[in-house]
Amino acid sequence: MHLPKFEHQSPGTLKEALQLFDEYGPRAQIVAGGTDLYPRMKYGLLGPEVVISLKGVPVESPSTLGNGELQLDALMTLADVVRSSVILERAPLLAEAATNVASNEIRHMGTLGGNLCLETRCTYYNQSHTYQYVAPCFKRDGDRCYLIPKGKKCQAVFMADTVPALICLDAKVETQSKAESRQVPLKDLYTGDSLFPIALSRGELVSKVIIPKAATHRGSGFTKFSLRGGMEFGALTVAALLDVVDDGMTCATARIAVGSVSAKPVRAVKAEAALTGEKLSEGLLREVAKKVAAEVRPVMHHGYSAPFLRECLEVQAYRTLTKAAAGMR
Amino acid sequence: MGRRPLKRLIELLVNEETYEVAVEPQTTLLEALRDHLGLTGTKEACGTGECGSCTVLVEGKPILSCLALAVDYQNRHILTIEGLSEGEELTPVQHAFVVNGAVQCGFCTPGMVLSTTALLNENPSPTVEQIQKALEGHLCRCTGYNKILTAVNMAAEKRRGEME
Repeated sequence: MHLPKFEHQSPGTLKEALQLFDEYGPRAQIVAGGTDLYPRMKYGLLGPEVVISLKGVPVESPSTLGNGELQLDALMTLADVVRSSVILERAPLLAEAATNVASNEIRHMGTLGGNLCLETRCTYYNQSHTYQYVAPCFKRDGDRCYLIPKGKKCQAVFMADTVPALICLDAKVETQSKAESRQVPLKDLYTGDSLFPIALSRGELVSKVIIPKAATHRGSGFTKFSLRGGMEFGALTVAALLDVVDDGMTCATARIAVGSVSAKPVRAVKAEAALTGEKLSEGLLREVAKKVAAEVRPVMHHGYSAPFLRECLEVQAYRTLTKAAAGMR
Repeated sequence: MGRRPLKRLIELLVNEETYEVAVEPQTTLLEALRDHLGLTGTKEACGTGECGSCTVLVEGKPILSCLALAVDYQNRHILTIEGLSEGEELTPVQHAFVVNGAVQCGFCTPGMVLSTTALLNENPSPTVEQIQKALEGHLCRCTGYNKILTAVNMAAEKRRGEME
């Protein structure tokens, strides 16, 4: 398969890249790893006139800020995230989620920032053009949904694996454009609209990921459910994080986030509340898993029906919580 | 229509040799290797990053050449399957693939061999799970993967000098 024609720019610094991004405006597309963008370009789903490649921009290694926050460069490859001893020690949940992204080769190319800005996906959209032989769907500026025939809106699903993990870690992202730089909580980066899933304005990109200082007694778990179990987008991804008080049993704060269920990752807030202040036990975790499945309503996608995903979610949530409780340190 | 992008002269450092290639911006590393340099050992199957056939090693790390632009990989050490062995002498990984019948049609083999080489350089004694994890991005439609796993295990043993 061939890429469509484009003009190529390879700036040496982020500042130069933002300058170019601003200059070219909507004609340009920023690319870091390219593992999500280039397949879509090959399928003819988009054809930017200019590609601004960040391959030449130097990558900073993880650093600790004054207040104990861990700062990661968004241009780190996922393989580096998996390998980084600092991340393994301070945010093992992120490392575990990153191991689950695609394949080894893709993890060596794809970046953390790129995973955060993944495009929403659908069986019918992420195909060569001929697959939609009748008329274009919402994502192709058409008027119909192939997944849900009478659907009134696009139902494409956000499937990045690292995002539920980072949401559990209360991560923030630093975004930069030529004019300004701002910090937003990661969960606010997602709009919930399948057509425009990422809340970045024109000329803006994610430059840093910031993870707050970890609590002393913390356990985390991550599960990704897919049919083949490798090199696949997840049908469901669940991340859980439990902070306990000194007795090692009573939950102080809980975070549960589920990915691949809608146009944005969803936090199971009610289920989290059911854990807070309670002593962790098998019975409680089973009950909380039920609550997760009742609260988060997965949409059907990629051949998985919604009722199946709901049942599956209860099982996956229980497994994730058990992992988190067992891995307490 | 926008203006036609011009060809650019770039230097590629493939298998320890420097090549000057005139490529268009949208030329992938795979196309540069196969069509411009004639190194057809690297295969294209899906072209969209799902199968692992086009794997090459860049600075010892496996990447997919079908999703990499040639212009982005100037002056980096690229290793393709052609540059792996010295002359007729097979590397332990290649030898293990041959003797275990881990090669049938051979289309996935260059990628599998290169990924295995990268894995064993980083981790000389991988567990079965670690091998599966490292090779999860490679599809093989012939062997059923078991012979490949056997071959990787054998190569690992041989590299550790436990076998003659």
